Amino acid sequence: MKPVLPLFLRKELRDIRGNAQVWVGYLILPLLGVGIPVVLLSLVPLDPAAPGIDPDFVALFRFAALDPALAHFPEGERIVRLLVREVGAFFLFMPVILSSMGAAMSIAAEKQQRTLEPILATPVEDREFLLAKLLAAAVPGTLVTWGAGLLFALGAVIVSLVRLGHPVFPGVPFTVVLLLLVPLAGGIAALIGMRASMRAADVQAAAQMAGLWVIPAAMVLIGLIGRPAFRSVPLALVALLLFGLLFWRLFVGTLKRFDREEILVRWRR
Amino acid sequence: MVELNGLTRTFGDRVVVDQVSFALREGELCALLGPNGAGKTTTVRMLLGLIGVTAGSARVAGVGIPGARDEMARLRAATGLLTETPGLYDRLSAYENLALFGRLYGLEGQRLASTIERHLTAMQLWDRRDDLVATYSKGMKQRLAIVRAIFHDPSVIFFDEPTSGLDPQSAREVRHLIRSLKQAGRTILVCTHNLAEAAELADVVGILQRRLLAFGPPASLGGQDQAGQVVIEVTGDPRQAAAALAALPLDLQPEVEGETVTVRPAGERVPAMVEALVAAGIGVRAVVPIRRTLEDVYLATIASAE
Repeated sequence: MKPVLPLFLRKELRDIRGNAQVWVGYLILPLLGVGIPVVLLSLVPLDPAAPGIDPDFVALFRFAALDPALAHFPEGERIVRLLVREVGAFFLFMPVILSSMGAAMSIAAEKQQRTLEPILATPVEDREFLLAKLLAAAVPGTLVTWGAGLLFALGAVIVSLVRLGHPVFPGVPFTVVLLLLVPLAGGIAALIGMRASMRAADVQAAAQMAGLWVIPAAMVLIGLIGRPAFRSVPLALVALLLFGLLFWRLFVGTLKRFDREEILVRWRR
Repeated sequence: MVELNGLTRTFGDRVVVDQVSFALREGELCALLGPNGAGKTTTVRMLLGLIGVTAGSARVAGVGIPGARDEMARLRAATGLLTETPGLYDRLSAYENLALFGRLYGLEGQRLASTIERHLTAMQLWDRRDDLVATYSKGMKQRLAIVRAIFHDPSVIFFDEPTSGLDPQSAREVRHLIRSLKQAGRTILVCTHNLAEAAELADVVGILQRRLLAFGPPASLGGQDQAGQVVIEVTGDPRQAAAALAALPLDLQPEVEGETVTVRPAGERVPAMVEALVAAGIGVRAVVPIRRTLEDVYLATIASAE
């Protein structure tokens, strides 16, 4: 199967490039993910007593003061560090959105373009087919997120250097999350998107179904497990374990649910 | 090579394929005819193990259906499928399309490269191998899809509407290719609405409308209820000829059609009829037996089933 994967990936990447709806997403999300936090870091007031400060920023200063991990930093740096840490969660949403979008497109688009039956009529094993589709959906989203995360880290370092006089790095938990949790989050979202794609008759229906399943699940998962992972390495490792278990369970479940007949004729035995 | 025994498929209460049985020998080409929704595609999908069987069984290329998953993989390796639409990846080149499928069929390296080159050259597509399939004409796409269905050297090939939508020249090339595959010993099942094509290519024809309504060589199907029907061309008044034939104690039912008289059934009674006409002073120019076309048989069979 291994020699097939690069070809599948190339095909999926060309599909993404040729589908404006999808590649715009691949462009806009990273732009937002890097642009908004960096702009925010550039504009956030560093003095809570500054004249005319927005009451929302005052509340943010109070919130930062309550965090024991930030207590020993000066007020200005505290708010920068808080923002750098908290916007990290967006980098978990990014692969989720991008991968589920790619996965939703994968099987349903093949149904629509009538390319699925010839593939299913080959001796390709269910596991190989799913793995190829999974990688094709999750890899681009992961790569884009890594790139965006790197740009964000660079932006945070430059802005903090300019504003505080010394750099603020996103930290080790951010790196662990970016390198390890992001692919898993993308994989989980891709598997959910693939399940939607298997059931849907067309791309639009698959995208809607995937959105309906993925977004609420991602909000809960990232809120409860992903966001705390940015606080410390042990928490990041716990999140990694939980995401890993969920990924494995979903993969096995999707493999069990994979049915060529259901995909082809939408008839559940 | 292909054997169906009471193959049946239902979707809920709807019976789509009902107890279909027939057998094809190695190197035999069968045209499966039937209106839209007759169950042709469902039958092919069952024979490829793509969808399940409700009742009955089949055997294709030595693999029993229904069967275990690994058996189905063996079945798919031994078969080729051309779907109704080419189903190619438009954003890949012809070469990349075949490379992807070749690897799925277990071809690799030099063997894969030479197989692709041989088939694309035979199909006059080699010079355009690196062009995206999206830039191909419909005929080129169909030729490429046919290569994809056969280039792993399957022993049984399923073609669904192989010449649908093609211009006459491309359709002729495709028919030529199918014929050469048959000559090379492949067992072929062609689902088609093109009756002339079926009559031209097929060793056996099956007419399917949920059930298998007729099955046999095109000539025998055409001849079945045609036995003895003749058109008599006469030199005199055809009405006078019809009257002379009707007067014979042979229970003939002559009908005047223009300058001719059609008699059904005539059978062994032709000499007596000619004798009677000559005796009545009517010259007989020709007695022509009528054979119904496959289209006649098809339409009559479908009509009787309805």
